[in-house]
Amino acid sequence: MTSGVTAWRPTWLLALLVAFAPTAQAEVAPDDPGQVTSLPEAVGPHWVWVPDRALRRTALFDGAAGAMLGLIDSGMTITPKAPQWSKQRAEIYAVDTIYTRGHHGERKDYVFIYDARTLEVKGEVEIPPRAGDTGTGIALVDMLDGERFLVVLNQSPGSSVSVVDLAERKFIGEIQTAGCAGVYPAGPQRFGMLCGNGTAVLVMLTEQGELERITRSTPFFDVVADPVSEKGTRKGTSWLFSSFGGQLHEIDFSGAAPVPAAPWSLFSDKERANDWRVGGGQYLTYHRPSGRLYSIVHEGGPGSHKDPGTEVWVWDAGTREKIETFSMPNVLVPFIRPQMGIEAGGFVDWLLRALLPNLGVHSIVVTQDDQPLLFVRHADLGAVGVLDAVSGEHLRDLEEVGLSGVLLVVP
Amino acid sequence: MSRLDNWFEGITRESARRVSRRSWVSRLGAVLVGGAAVPLLPVARAAERAASPDGIAGAEGDPSSCQYWRHCAIDGFLCTCCGGSHSACPPGTEMSPVTWIGTCRNPKDGQDYIISYNDCCGKTICGRCLCNRNEGERPLYHWYRNNDLNWCGGAKLQTYNCSTALVVKVAKEAQPEK
Repeated sequence: MTSGVTAWRPTWLLALLVAFAPTAQAEVAPDDPGQVTSLPEAVGPHWVWVPDRALRRTALFDGAAGAMLGLIDSGMTITPKAPQWSKQRAEIYAVDTIYTRGHHGERKDYVFIYDARTLEVKGEVEIPPRAGDTGTGIALVDMLDGERFLVVLNQSPGSSVSVVDLAERKFIGEIQTAGCAGVYPAGPQRFGMLCGNGTAVLVMLTEQGELERITRSTPFFDVVADPVSEKGTRKGTSWLFSSFGGQLHEIDFSGAAPVPAAPWSLFSDKERANDWRVGGGQYLTYHRPSGRLYSIVHEGGPGSHKDPGTEVWVWDAGTREKIETFSMPNVLVPFIRPQMGIEAGGFVDWLLRALLPNLGVHSIVVTQDDQPLLFVRHADLGAVGVLDAVSGEHLRDLEEVGLSGVLLVVP
Repeated sequence: MSRLDNWFEGITRESARRVSRRSWVSRLGAVLVGGAAVPLLPVARAAERAASPDGIAGAEGDPSSCQYWRHCAIDGFLCTCCGGSHSACPPGTEMSPVTWIGTCRNPKDGQDYIISYNDCCGKTICGRCLCNRNEGERPLYHWYRNNDLNWCGGAKLQTYNCSTALVVKVAKEAQPEK
């Protein structure tokens, strides 16, 4: 027996050594210093830009993975403007304002050109130092179809539009657009604007990007009684705008002059009597493949047009029927969760959601793929909720997106 | 402490539920400091307050309050909380000569007044005493009634610091925009 035990012991020890040998040898290899990641070649269908007023930068997130991909900087404006992404040239354009001595000195405005893979600045175009600056950043800058021309609203407070040739990287000129605001692309050489006399204008450019002509619609809204919000959403060559009171206007910019269709009400008589209204920041978004129109809604009176809402209503823009009501997640919780070291999905997370008031959301945007996501944001809470845009299910949150801002931009 | 106060007002008062040009600092401070600061609120708030320049008691007479009667269409940080006052800019800034306007009712004499909201410019955001109310506010194309716009366009530097609320005159007619 004794010899048998003796004979077994070396075998046992050998087995142990073999079992643990790979672990002991697998030391972590030294990393190569200086590595930098880059973005994938193809833009993801569920990516979203989140501009931030406090941090003065715009971060790019993958809403499906819940991951941050990178960021671009911004200067001394109230809010960063919406980045524009050229898939043809793999470039991103950011309109920005800087001062030569940081917070003071001479003001200069630029279109900064970023490589869309490395996010490095690879060029710039200086534009007149009058680029409009607002708290929301909505409809201040956009790229026309065909990705050649960029239009920038100037408002100081007189209104004009700067046109930039992105392919040639040069400033073309400034178009006077007194009394009108917002830029709404509707083709390679045309964009619309809304005006204070209750009309819309269509600005048409030549092939070189110079002004060809400006045409005006008939008056279609009353700026005093029920103004049309400038927070619109695109539908092909048309744009959809809602009035403060929930009248949905569709303006077709494809013809010789803007053509407003007869408006329809987003609310029934009963809903209107109960003071249901649209409102918030970027509160209206349209899913072009399905024809679904989404809006943040709330109950409120005159002057509540910037109120956030805890519900998003969904309409079929074709039948004009309301088809869904989505409850908004409490984005206060994912905002404070990382500050307090609380894990998402845990008991404390659940408890906070139950106890803390839901402050609602100011902004939404829907992706344009066939499995769309709806991103939702409160202007002063640094988290973005991610919902299934078909079912309304709250899928996840993007935490630590920043501190403040209104825009949500799908590239 | 006024930041925390602002946030709790935001839950209970309609005015502070609205999207603003720059309300993030007040919200952030409120969330991060949490409930521990609540008992200090009245003391801190009182220290912030100046005597009412219009002889009105309470929040409607207090230029550091969002409920100050002149603030019915303001959007920004109140200069009273930033080293200035309701009618003067903080040191080192410049008052923009171009403004948006509102029409607000004075609770003391019952008259409507035209209020000019002059932004103070040339330094970065103050970040204190955010207030956003939108009575009669209109979209960007109706620019002189729009409070989203950075109104430092007429100043030497367009960096925004805070907002004042100057009486222009008694309004002869009621404001048409609601």
